[in-house]
Order: sequence, then structure tokens, then C-alpha cells
Amino acid sequence: MQLLRLAGLAAVLVVSLLFAVFVGDQGPWYFAWVIGTIMIILISGAGAILLDAQQDGKIGSSSESEV
Amino acid sequence: MDMINPTVVDLSRFQFALTALYHFMFVPLTLGLTFMLAAMETVYVVTGRKIYKDMAMFWGKLFGINFALGVATGITMEFEFGTNWSMYSRFFGDMFGTPLAIEGLMAFFMESTFVGLMFFGWDRLSKQAHLAITYLVALGSNLSALWILIANAGMNVPHGAHFDPDTMRLQFDSFVKLIFSPDAQAKFVHTSVAGYVSAALLVMGVSAFYLLRGQHRQFAARSFRMAALFGIISTVAVITLGDVLGREDYMEQPTKIAAIEGLWHTSKPPYEPWILAALPDDAKQENHFEIGVPFVLTPLITHDFNTPIPGMHELEDAAAPRIESGIAAVSALRRYQETHQQSDLDAFKAHEADLGFGFLATRHAPNQDVTAIPADALQSVVEQTKPDILPNVFVTFWSFRIMVFLALYFFALFAISAYLSLKNKLERNKLILKTCMWSIPLPILATEFGWITAEAGRQPWTVFNTLPTFLSASTHSTSYMVFSLAGFALLYSIFIAAELYLMFKFARLGPEAHDAPHAEDAYAAHCAVVGTQHASGH
Repeated sequence: MQLLRLAGLAAVLVVSLLFAVFVGDQGPWYFAWVIGTIMIILISGAGAILLDAQQDGKIGSSSESEV
Repeated sequence: MDMINPTVVDLSRFQFALTALYHFMFVPLTLGLTFMLAAMETVYVVTGRKIYKDMAMFWGKLFGINFALGVATGITMEFEFGTNWSMYSRFFGDMFGTPLAIEGLMAFFMESTFVGLMFFGWDRLSKQAHLAITYLVALGSNLSALWILIANAGMNVPHGAHFDPDTMRLQFDSFVKLIFSPDAQAKFVHTSVAGYVSAALLVMGVSAFYLLRGQHRQFAARSFRMAALFGIISTVAVITLGDVLGREDYMEQPTKIAAIEGLWHTSKPPYEPWILAALPDDAKQENHFEIGVPFVLTPLITHDFNTPIPGMHELEDAAAPRIESGIAAVSALRRYQETHQQSDLDAFKAHEADLGFGFLATRHAPNQDVTAIPADALQSVVEQTKPDILPNVFVTFWSFRIMVFLALYFFALFAISAYLSLKNKLERNKLILKTCMWSIPLPILATEFGWITAEAGRQPWTVFNTLPTFLSASTHSTSYMVFSLAGFALLYSIFIAAELYLMFKFARLGPEAHDAPHAEDAYAAHCAVVGTQHASGH
């Protein structure tokens, strides 16, 4: 089962690389949009998780009373 | 050929502008909100905290209202190409129709299919499957925009096409050239991320409203922070791609860039100022006053310090030989259609590159027939046609500036908001919260002015340097156009009123899960439990 999962992930990696090479060459701004959108989603999500950590007292001195 | 009725052409343009502007009030929010929903749901799947599901569901409700009205206003536009712009559709149908059909069959169907699963699949699908559906909705809505903007880029820079004198149409040479044209790429990314900015400010503004009222505080704090971070990066991307588009226009559409910058005479690098404010006078072809920043224009447009930017007067002069050559092209084409002789075809081929300029001269020819221009009147027709190559400078100049000034304002607002949110100092800064709330409509305004810059700047062409706008319209009666225009204005105003009513209603109601008494306390308890579990390694 793990071998199958590994093969699946490897296939995704190969397809992603081919996509990156082709789109990065033919349409660099399309490629930038794909990468940029993923980055925007991850950073905004990280911001929310950071707020959870701040309120849980793991980071900084903030508490739930202050947002 | 029917005589061109300028009133019908103007009414057709006004109707399309009106319907497109109405439609474009809904589109940016759809483009951006879908990815914001995907971001919220991703955090829900990763952390398991229910508040992020509540966020995705609540903002999804606002997205749903917007999506329904966006679809309703968009469909009529596709029919408008056939009803009001039949000459354009015939001439440019190969190029324009193909991406439009793909948009309908691939992107819109994909988006519409998955949007139902997204709304009704919360309790029927696994968390991961639902997240995948949300991403597919986001991808579908943005792919929809992609194909529309590829079609639009074809109008601005018709890559991958040639004119066929037998069919009298532009026909495809290369689909790949159309899809990957630099203009299409920059336009798509610029428009898509402008949608992200619109969505981020909507979420931030409504969250600020809750924080000001002390309602749904945890929900609003998380929504606000995600939107602020989403918005700041998106604004940087919008500005970057705006610069790319400006350079594309400089390379491919010099009249548009000269009008955008209010540049009547060729620039003198490197001193040439970037005009912050001016009063362009289209009739006198001059600016009445100018306030500018020296040494900025040349590097801004050309990305170096030494290249002059052609001014509108010089572009008019440069167009004169093309207009003369274009008149010869139209005359040869007319002869070829009657005789089908190789000599007439060769005569046409010799002037083919300037065909559009010949069409442009039609308006000033006797009986709108360039073949009837007497030799001694040719220069007069050329002189009369020269100013026609310019767009409306006042409109293009100011719509661009409003868009740019708003983008810089968004950058500052998102930066301050993100900083305050990260420092957990939001509620102490009521002025920023109020500013965010009142700024909700501004990105929509900015995208509308961006669209006006792009489309008004392309004039007098529907297909740049190839097909003039006044030759693209259908030959309706004036009364028909007035009637349909009034109908659209009334119907679309009802749509806008419905959208605003529903948006205000649901935004005021707030997220359902947090309406119940002590919901904040329940969430605090939930956080504590989750925090304990995490701390104990579960």
C-alpha cells in the first residue's frame, strides 16, 4: 500500500515537473499565477494558524481577550 | 453595404459598456472568494478546528449570492456579440468564438457542476473530498476568466491570425500563439489577482464591522487576518502585473499607452515626468495643466532611461502613410471580390498590413466608400482620418489614474491591517477598522476603471489596428437600441439591488454558528480542548 502511495506521489511529482517546464517556458506568467496563488493561500492559512497559536499561548503574550 | 449610423454604433457601445460594467461588479469577487474559501477550508482540514469550517460556510454563502448574479449578468453579454456586434462576430468569430466556447464547455460547466457539491456536500462528502471540490470551484471560476481574457487579448493584440480575402474574416493560424500571447498572460494574472484583492477587502471589511460591534470576535479576527495576508500579497501581484501590462501596451498598442500617460508629444528621456494629474483636452489635443514627477515616466514604461515614448501627434503623423496604404488595400480587396484576378490579389497583398487603416478611412469617404475617393481628395481624407486613430484621452488618462491611486491605497491599507492583526492590536485601532469597512466597494471601483482603461484605450478598434469599432456593430434601428438599452439598465439595476440587499442581509446576520448565546464561550472551550490535545500529543 505504501509502495502504491509512493508511486502515486512520484507520478504527481513528474507531472508537476513537466507542467512546470512546459508552462514555465511557454507561459511564464501563467506559471507565476499557479505558484503565486498557492503561496497566497498558504501564507493566509499560516496567518490563521499563527493566531490560534498566539491565543493558545504558544507564541507571544496575546490572549483570547485581545484580537 | 448599409450606411453606418453613428447613433446606433454609440448606443451599441454604451449598451455593451453598461452590461459589461454591471457584470464586472460580480466577477472579481467570484474569482477571489473561491480561493479565500479554499484557504479557510484548507486550515479546517489541517487543524480540525470547526471555526474554519464555519468561516468557509459563511463566506461561501456570500460567494453564492454573488455567483448567481454574476452568471445571470454574464450570459446576456455572450448573446450581445451576436445581436449588437454581428459584423464583429463575423469578422473575428474564429478567434473570439473558440476561447468563448471553451470557456462555456470547460470552465463554466466545471465551476457550475462543482459549486452545487460545494454548497450541499458538507455533510455528504469527506473533509478531503469537499476541500478538493472547493479547489475545483476556484480553479473553474478562474479558468472561466482565463478564456474570456484570452479572447479579449486577441482583440487587443491579434496574435495567431491572418486575414483571408476570400472569406473576409480573420482566421486562425495558431491556437497556441493566442493562448500564450504575452498580453493574454499578463491580462489574466492581473485580472485574477485583482479579484483576490476585491475578495480580501470584502472579507476584511465585513470582519471589521463585526469587530467594531464586538460580535463574532474570534470568527472575525481569523477572517480578518487571513484576508489581510491574502490581500497584501495579491496587491503586490496586481501592481507587478500592471507594470507588465503597461510594457505590453508600450510594445503593441502605442496609442493606448500615449493616451494613458496624456503624452501628446514624444517624450524626452530621461527627464520626462510621470503626470500625476492633468486636464487632457481631446478637441485641442493638449493638456490644460500638468502636475508630474520628473524622471519617472521613461523607466516606468520602457524599463530603461534612454528610450523615447512616441507621443500622440507623432503617432498620428506615422499613421498617415498607413491610412493611404489601407485605402489602396480596401480598393484592391473590393476589386478582387468582383474579379478574383491574381493581379488584384497581389495588389491587396502589397497593402494587406494596413487594411484596418483603410477601413478606418471609410467614415470620411464619399458615401462611406473608399473606392470612390477622388485622387485630389485623398490627402484630405487621410488628414481627416489621422485623429481617429486616438482613443478618448480624458477617459483613458483618468480611469487609469483612479485605478492606480486605488491600488496604492489598498497596498497601504492591507499592510497596516496585516501588521495590526499579526500584533493582535486590531480592536484598539477603530479608525483602521472603520476604514476597512468603508473601503469594501473600492476594489470593485478599481477593477471597473481598469477595464475602462483597457477597453477605452483600445479604441477606435474592436480588433486593434484591424477592425474599427464603427464597422463592427449590427445595423439595428435607433429605437430598437434605446428600447433594449433601457431594458438592460432596468433589469441589471434590479440585479444590483438584489445583490446589495442579500449581501447586507446575510452580512448583518453573521455566521450562524456564532449567533447562539455563549457561542464565543463555547469556542473558547473548544480551543482549550484542542490546545490541550495538541499539548498532550494527540
